[in-house]
Amino acid sequence: MTDKDHKCTCNDQPLVPKVVEVIDIIDRTPDVKSFFVKNPSDDGLPFQVSPGQCAMVSMPVGEAMISCTWQEEQEYLEFAIKRVGLLTDELHQIEVGQQIGLRGPYGNGFPVEDCKGKDMVFIAGGIGLAPLRSFIKYCFKHREDYGKITILYGSRSQADLCFKEELFELWPQEPNTEVFVTIDNPEPDWDGHVGFVPAYLEELNPSPQGAVAVVCGPPIMIKFVLQSLEKMGYQDDQVITTLEMRMKCGIGKCGRCNIGSEFICLDGPVYYLRQLRDLPPEW
Amino acid sequence: MKVLSKAKLEEALNKLSEANEVFVPMQKKAQSGYFPWNSFVSGQDELMLEALNVYQSPKGAVLPQTEKMYRYQQGGMEINIEETFEDSHPTIIFGARACDVKGILAMDEVFLTRGYEDSFYKARRSGNTIIANACYEPGPNCFCNAMEVDCVNPAGADVILRDGGDAYVWEVKSEKGEAVTAVIAGLLEEKEVSLPQLKPFVQKVDYSGVAEKLKTMFEHPLWDKLSEPCVNCGMCTFVCPSCYCFDIQVKMWGDEGYRFRAWDSCMFEEYSREAGGGNPRGASKERFRQRFLHKLEFFTERYGTPLCTGCGRCMIVCPTDINIVRIIDAVKEAEVND
Repeated sequence: MTDKDHKCTCNDQPLVPKVVEVIDIIDRTPDVKSFFVKNPSDDGLPFQVSPGQCAMVSMPVGEAMISCTWQEEQEYLEFAIKRVGLLTDELHQIEVGQQIGLRGPYGNGFPVEDCKGKDMVFIAGGIGLAPLRSFIKYCFKHREDYGKITILYGSRSQADLCFKEELFELWPQEPNTEVFVTIDNPEPDWDGHVGFVPAYLEELNPSPQGAVAVVCGPPIMIKFVLQSLEKMGYQDDQVITTLEMRMKCGIGKCGRCNIGSEFICLDGPVYYLRQLRDLPPEW
Repeated sequence: MKVLSKAKLEEALNKLSEANEVFVPMQKKAQSGYFPWNSFVSGQDELMLEALNVYQSPKGAVLPQTEKMYRYQQGGMEINIEETFEDSHPTIIFGARACDVKGILAMDEVFLTRGYEDSFYKARRSGNTIIANACYEPGPNCFCNAMEVDCVNPAGADVILRDGGDAYVWEVKSEKGEAVTAVIAGLLEEKEVSLPQLKPFVQKVDYSGVAEKLKTMFEHPLWDKLSEPCVNCGMCTFVCPSCYCFDIQVKMWGDEGYRFRAWDSCMFEEYSREAGGGNPRGASKERFRQRFLHKLEFFTERYGTPLCTGCGRCMIVCPTDINIVRIIDAVKEAEVND
């Protein structure tokens, strides 16, 4: 799992960010915003990104590794970012036109080729939908390459649901696609499903036959979803997840994001469950 | 054989320092480590070429304790990022022991292979020449022989010095070695010197099979007991010749500042603490286990050689007497259920 060909465009100075400009900001939820960035003075894309890859977003206060969304022909990158710490606090205060630092892309990304011909089951919780959304969008862009697409998404409350337009309007209209949304607790104006993602998943029980499940969310959700999938008959090579660890360099040098001999920034963040089974249980 | 008489040592160091920063082991007041020769104060500092290991390894010559990377300026909506890499003048590490040279070879693997080259490290390392000092008398804490190090013939050295009493045998091993030899050619003499035999190691360590066995021992109860005395002070990581983990931090004055990197330690809680508060190694035991597994298992798995070079420094500086040799022994002796 080491020595991967990386797709970085900045090999001369992999630790030095380039300057990019925020061209739009959208409020996704009360604590999640999407930032759209491109090169300053309108000359295009900072770099191409495969679904599931990340980039290091840089502000005066520090840097953080964030999942990045980009599609072919798109002239900008998108980062959906939840306010959780120093850097993200500062990011949430900037305005359109602000320049920030960016370096990447980093990591392996989702195995989009491997999954061709499969039924796709995407299972996400909270901001965990952000990395999966890159893969989901990729599937819709190459719709004929994938079988049935099932998307199951949960968040704490209605207000915390990210990407509502896609969840409720765009994705359900795609051919051979089902989208299921749940929130943790009942709310007066919510007539959808209520309950946690793992239980809802077992209730929906998408067949493991020819399917691949892709999971991302809070660690506790991932833990129970993996148990549910196992119960439902999914094999370890039919389950994919994407990990997060604290990162500083993004290129497998600074040490901290290791799990066993793997560096999540470089060798990950995307793993099949069968690969994770071989690693120490720190994920 | 070519020799450098000890009487001409200071002259040689002066000569080498004309175009290089020459790191030499010395005692400077309370500190012992590799310091630039041109900072040597006669009568106050003491050259430590005879000592086996000074406290600080020479790793700082290629991975400084702190290193500026780039300037970061913010003016309203605009920012400016400008590389401020400190001038990477040529350096010589003079008198490094084989264990410390091995530490640098391990860092070469980390910083120069596996997908990305670290440009800052590369700049320093490519201008760095290693004049190693062969060991013939292992110290009480030495166990480099168990960690794939040949202390008599240090791998990776550009020149090997061999202490022959009044003179050092000067053995050139590489092109870089040729280049520094040319600088002091006038000081070298031809002379036959008899060299000592390597004395036996006091520490008896057997690393064979440890990396493989550790794969099955992540959740072994021995980590509870072994880690109990650890106070996570991080001393072991800072004196270690092969610990390379670094942090990236920023120093801003208003709208202007710079980003730098600095040695970090897996012993510290913040090392792996995430923005949301989660920490896969929040407990002291988990950090302790990470350090030893990284040294003895993970690095070996990834790079084919352990990240411990057997220098023994961590055993000397540990305030709670944690001892990597005893840990290797404990792993060897541990019972493992399949």
